[in-house]
Amino acid sequence: MSDIPIIQIKNLTKIFGDGVEIKALDGVDLYIKRGEFMSIIGPSGSGKSTLLNQIGILDTPTSGTILLNGVDVTKMSDKERSRTRNKELGFIFQYHHLLPDFDALENVMIPLLISGVKSSQARKVARKVLDEVGLGDRMKHRPNQLSGGQNQRVAIARALVNKPSIVIGDEPTGNLDSKSSDSIYELLRKLNREHEQTFILVTHDEQMAAKTDRVIRLVDGKVVEDLRDGASVREI
Amino acid sequence: MYELFIALRHLTSRRRQTIFSVLAVGLAVMLLVWSQAMMVGFTDEMYSKTVDRMAHVTVEPQEDEDYIHLYHKLTGDIRGIDGVVGVSPVLSGPATFEYKDKNKNVVIQGIQVDAHDSVLHINDDIVEGSFRDLEVSSNSVVVGDALAEKLDVEIGDTIDASFPEANPAALKVVGIYDSGTPLDETMAITSQSTAQGFLDVSNVVNSILVRVDDRERAQAISEEIDAMGYPASGWKETNPEIIQTLKLEGTSNAVILGLIIIIASFGIVSTLFMAVMEKTKEIGMLMAMGVPRRSIMLIFVMESGILGLLGAVLGVALGAGLAIQMGSYDYGMEVMAGITTIPFVVRLQDAVIIVLFTFLLNLIAGIYPASRASKLNPVEAIGRE
Ligand SMILES: Nc1ncnc2c1ncn2[C@@H]1O[C@H](COP(=O)(O)OP(=O)(O)O)[C@@H](O)[C@H]1O
Ligand SMILES: [Mg+2]
Repeated sequence: MSDIPIIQIKNLTKIFGDGVEIKALDGVDLYIKRGEFMSIIGPSGSGKSTLLNQIGILDTPTSGTILLNGVDVTKMSDKERSRTRNKELGFIFQYHHLLPDFDALENVMIPLLISGVKSSQARKVARKVLDEVGLGDRMKHRPNQLSGGQNQRVAIARALVNKPSIVIGDEPTGNLDSKSSDSIYELLRKLNREHEQTFILVTHDEQMAAKTDRVIRLVDGKVVEDLRDGASVREI
Repeated sequence: MYELFIALRHLTSRRRQTIFSVLAVGLAVMLLVWSQAMMVGFTDEMYSKTVDRMAHVTVEPQEDEDYIHLYHKLTGDIRGIDGVVGVSPVLSGPATFEYKDKNKNVVIQGIQVDAHDSVLHINDDIVEGSFRDLEVSSNSVVVGDALAEKLDVEIGDTIDASFPEANPAALKVVGIYDSGTPLDETMAITSQSTAQGFLDVSNVVNSILVRVDDRERAQAISEEIDAMGYPASGWKETNPEIIQTLKLEGTSNAVILGLIIIIASFGIVSTLFMAVMEKTKEIGMLMAMGVPRRSIMLIFVMESGILGLLGAVLGVALGAGLAIQMGSYDYGMEVMAGITTIPFVVRLQDAVIIVLFTFLLNLIAGIYPASRASKLNPVEAIGRE
């Protein structure tokens, strides 16, 4: 596997503004290696979600560039962006955002169907991934028939089913009690070890962040700290 | 085709709105199908009634000739054409009728009673006396009821007929007919020999009237007669105004009912808008999972199209069913001159056009809410909680 960073963020700035301008990201530089299991922390409003949405190409930057696997995503068409989101990115949000009209198995199948996998094959793969997150016996349940932790596991299965190279989680355990929260963390950790996927997790839980391999701290849209295994990665 | 999978699931999950939308479109379509069937039925009936009273094909003298001389042979030849059920050679000309102090310009038609009846069913129209008597005594005449009134004549009275270059004659009234047309005031019918004597011509006629079994084939048969060397024209050519009037009524009817379907489709647009609003988060999540904007659009256009198609099919089924049901019911009284059932006619072509029209209309109607959905910003759609 090459040493070229899977994510290269250069001088990224995002300004929100209707009337008053808010600089949510202010010249962020960040290189992330393939297979890294890292967290982004910082006070509320510091720009964590904004940064994650930029990496997930859900939004466009005001200036600066983002390269995923060496490709500049800011120059992609809607079709290419969609394809990249489908194939290379897995999203986990604070709320599961499962489709309420579909059962757990169908929810996990959808990313596969979007990428063109036949429905019988998709069903097989989705079953396997649901088994992996420990929900093999809840496949036919709809989101309103499952607990918060179970739904979040389904959402994780959905994020992972297309074997994306990058999984991003915006406070994936923020809505759960500490017991489910820990088990979700352990699950993500296990998946990271087994599949060598890159995990970027936003959290306000400093204890959980400390368990990840690399911690980035954002304040006012700037990276103010970048620690790997407790040691500073770079001068800031 | 995951777009269809998602669209169908949305529709089955929103069961109540789906049923309501389908019913709304269905009822509008039903109304259109039903009234179209009634219109076609009445038009058909009107055609029959109107066209029934006229010669289906009229044959005229050859160019530069005033008369058809060898009409016996021609009449026989025409009778031999497949589909011809009646042939009547007619000699007609102008005359002035005088009775006491009243007078009136008319057209005299000299006919052979049986032949003419086979083409125009004249015996059905007689109200007094009989056509038969024309052939019993010469110099007799049958007049329309309006003409009789104008001249103040009754059966048995004798009218003085004259015209420049004609042989004046005294014609005895042997019958009065009522066809319900303006001809009742201007046409007098005599035997062929009486007309020949009055107009001072030999054994000739100046037109041959033909009846066919299927009125839609009149044109084809007139062309066959054309080929025999005599100019002939079908009833559509001789009476273009009939078709014009009926067409016009049909069009305005369809326009009004088309509008009803458009209104029903607006109902679908508004349910769809509500669905888009309700599903904003889901749409954002679908985008995050890699559904391109075009496919988001497709999902909602499909939903609208499916609702339209279901409504159209339901409406056609209900409308056709209702029309057939009502069409076979005998009201026991006349709903139109001479008929006691409402003549509904459901045509396959109408059903197909209405289904296609409704389906397309709903596809188009779905574009606006669908494009709103496809233009959502995924970050804002998913929302910050
Ligand atoms: N769509 C938006 N419009 C306006 N301001 C926004 C928008 N999204 C985020 N912001 C602002 O940008 C800043 C960073 O927000 P966010 O990235 O959500 O912070 P965090 O996730 O660290 O709490 C905040 O001040 C927030 O109010
Ligand atoms: Mg946030």
